[in-house]
Amino acid sequence: MTDEEFRAEVRGWLAARLASAEFACLAGKGGTGRAHEFVAERMAWERRLGADGWIGLGWPEDDGGRGLPWRRQVIFYEEYARADAPGRVGHIGEQLVAPTLLTFGTPEQKARFLPGIAAGTELWCQGYSEPGAGSDLAGLRTRAALRDGEWHVDGQKIWTSLAHVADWCFLLARTSADAERHRGLSCLLVPVRQPGVEIRPIRQITGTAEFNEVFFDDARTDAGNVAGEPGDGWRVALGMLGVERGVSNLGQLIGFQREFESVLAAARGNGSIADPDIAGRIADAWTGLQVLRFTTEEVLGTAAPDPVAGGAAANVVKLMWTSWHQRLGELAVDVIGPDAMLAGPEYDLSDTQRLFLFSRAETIFGGSNEIQRNIVAERGLGLPRG
Amino acid sequence: MDTPEQAALREAVRDFCRKQSGPGAWDRLTGELGLTGLAVPECYGGSGAGLAEVAVAVEETGRVLLPAPYLSTALAGAVLGEDGGEPAGGAAAGFLPGIASGALRAAFVFGDSVQVTDGRLAGVARHVLDGAEAGLFVVRAGEALFAVRAADAVVTPAGTLDETRSQATVEFHGAPCARVGCPAGRAEDLLRVLLAVESAGAAAHCLDVTVGYLKTRVQFGRPIGTFQALRHRCADLAVEVTSARSTAYAAVRAAVSSSTGSPASAVSAAAAELAVLGPLAKRHCADVFWHAAAEMIQLHGGIGFTWEHEAHRYLKRAKTSQLLHGTPAELRRLVSQRAGLS
Ligand SMILES: Cc1cc2nc3c(=O)[nH]c(=O)nc-3n(C[C@H](O)[C@H](O)[C@H](O)COP(=O)(O)OP(=O)(O)OC[C@H]3O[C@@H](n4cnc5c(N)ncnc54)[C@H](O)[C@@H]3O)c2cc1C
Repeated sequence: MTDEEFRAEVRGWLAARLASAEFACLAGKGGTGRAHEFVAERMAWERRLGADGWIGLGWPEDDGGRGLPWRRQVIFYEEYARADAPGRVGHIGEQLVAPTLLTFGTPEQKARFLPGIAAGTELWCQGYSEPGAGSDLAGLRTRAALRDGEWHVDGQKIWTSLAHVADWCFLLARTSADAERHRGLSCLLVPVRQPGVEIRPIRQITGTAEFNEVFFDDARTDAGNVAGEPGDGWRVALGMLGVERGVSNLGQLIGFQREFESVLAAARGNGSIADPDIAGRIADAWTGLQVLRFTTEEVLGTAAPDPVAGGAAANVVKLMWTSWHQRLGELAVDVIGPDAMLAGPEYDLSDTQRLFLFSRAETIFGGSNEIQRNIVAERGLGLPRG
Repeated sequence: MDTPEQAALREAVRDFCRKQSGPGAWDRLTGELGLTGLAVPECYGGSGAGLAEVAVAVEETGRVLLPAPYLSTALAGAVLGEDGGEPAGGAAAGFLPGIASGALRAAFVFGDSVQVTDGRLAGVARHVLDGAEAGLFVVRAGEALFAVRAADAVVTPAGTLDETRSQATVEFHGAPCARVGCPAGRAEDLLRVLLAVESAGAAAHCLDVTVGYLKTRVQFGRPIGTFQALRHRCADLAVEVTSARSTAYAAVRAAVSSSTGSPASAVSAAAAELAVLGPLAKRHCADVFWHAAAEMIQLHGGIGFTWEHEAHRYLKRAKTSQLLHGTPAELRRLVSQRAGLS
């Protein structure tokens, strides 16, 4: 099969499924800031993706994946964005947990957890951040101790996206008290639905609740549910953050292109494009998108370290896309003008308003832009530590 | 990414740039290295490589602000070289051997101040980059391009803010000229692409030098590179410089795919792409270069403000690169038009 035949297959599958009675309500719901909608339908969608073999495209075939090359994975993400297919509820399992287990997991762990992720039947959340440990993640205080063949977990996580639908939490906890900050952390795989775990939704800027506080009060998990060695959690937790991003970064460019086109259409539609400031900013946004595309393809698409970005290519790309997307959100609102001040019944927001608001989170999560700059300065440019 | 041949070329040019100085430089650049002939067909004494290789040389010579009319001359080789297949006697045959050997230096005249009547050019052009030492002018008149000997024009060198490259006012009073096949718009976009590449190389140098300084300059008892206010500015520059290079080379690829040697099926799409990416890349890269040069001075403190330090030459080159062949505002409008964004 050629790449283009593969593309046609993905496109055909998405079109057919999104037109089916079961999933028609999800068509066109892929936009920024819509991750809270139709949760039950999106869980069913995840299972459909899994059943038809669209999860774990890049994993080795022996581990239940399809062993597809990088280029095909990008094609899948591109077509997914082009189809405006719904925001995934399984991405933490597929993009964080599975790659971690593929690298650090035991054969038993892979056999236990990968099939559920690949089938879309077991959903995951990522429990790193705490009230006292955000950017300074190594300061986290949630503890876990091994007693009677089980880990006992106590503490609190915050901003945990999708914990309310998750079956499992990929949890970073302190498992040894006296070691220095970065040591003594472990990555635990903890079932979410148990008496010792309490989840409270937190309402976000958009008025909807997609992330949560998660409280652990003597929550349990089997002794074997630790990814990598106990005490090696820092390396395990952060090692995989950048790995799968390249594929989705490249894929999301198509989504950005669609968002840009709708901003342009809006500007033409209401005549605001006649305003030289708006016209200039539209030209800048388009230019910025081309620059982002060339850079993403160049620095994430080649194996050799970039001559400028060095080992911090993924951080350079994150700084670029989050800033660009935020500017697009601001432009989108200015194009609409005064009507952008109005909300619908029950605070129902337009796509423009969601883009405008949700893009504020992108420069914060997954390492804030200030933290990204620190990493670029150190790892990319070799500047001394502050 | 460079091919192995391009990587070897880059290394050779880099090595040359490290050692070059003084008046003999041009002879070695053209003789030993054959850089002006990179895009000149072999039958005229060039190496028949192409624009991608010219771009590599321009990036490296741009990194050190090589004070020679390399960019214009190498581009003339590429532009006239696109006529390579035409019967002898055209502009190509007359000028290409001189370009390839380095005996003939070239400059481009764009804008709309020159007209052609009955095969003769008339008009005055200012700010002609590399014009002072040119023996050949490639001139836009209407939508077409013409080659004129400098001996048939009146050339008045201008004093320049950026002393690393010359400018001149060039007058044509009924100068005889030969038609060049490459459309004028394409040639100007190619020039913009090379200015973009040059700016990307120079901006990378500004960042390198600044980072190096921040690692060694000590104030308040520690290297100033430990201060986050400065680290973040360097990180932002790293993002910009990375993006400038990627963008410049995307434009180079469009230039290569739209040149006459490429498969005909791809040429027209690539030509349309070049028309957008030429101005887009030039604007982006020159703006990044400007920012990198300005930060280079600021982050060096007083020493960055001295004549002895190289920073001012980069600042001046950056500003003139922003102003040449379309200011940022003009290019923004051009991109908007050509990409159909209005
Ligand atoms: C929508 C959303 C979803 C999220 N989902 C998850 C999730 O699923 N799982 C999870 O574990 N976490 C999640 N997070 C949390 C996210 O990772 C943290 O918010 C982030 O790491 C920042 O931590 P903080 O909020 O404590 O801010 P702080 O770390 O307190 O930062 C506050 C400000 O200080 C700046 N700052 C901090 N340290 C430095 C420094 N050294 N130098 C310069 N500036 C600094 C920051 O950049 C920021 O501007 C999510 C966040 C959001 C917004």
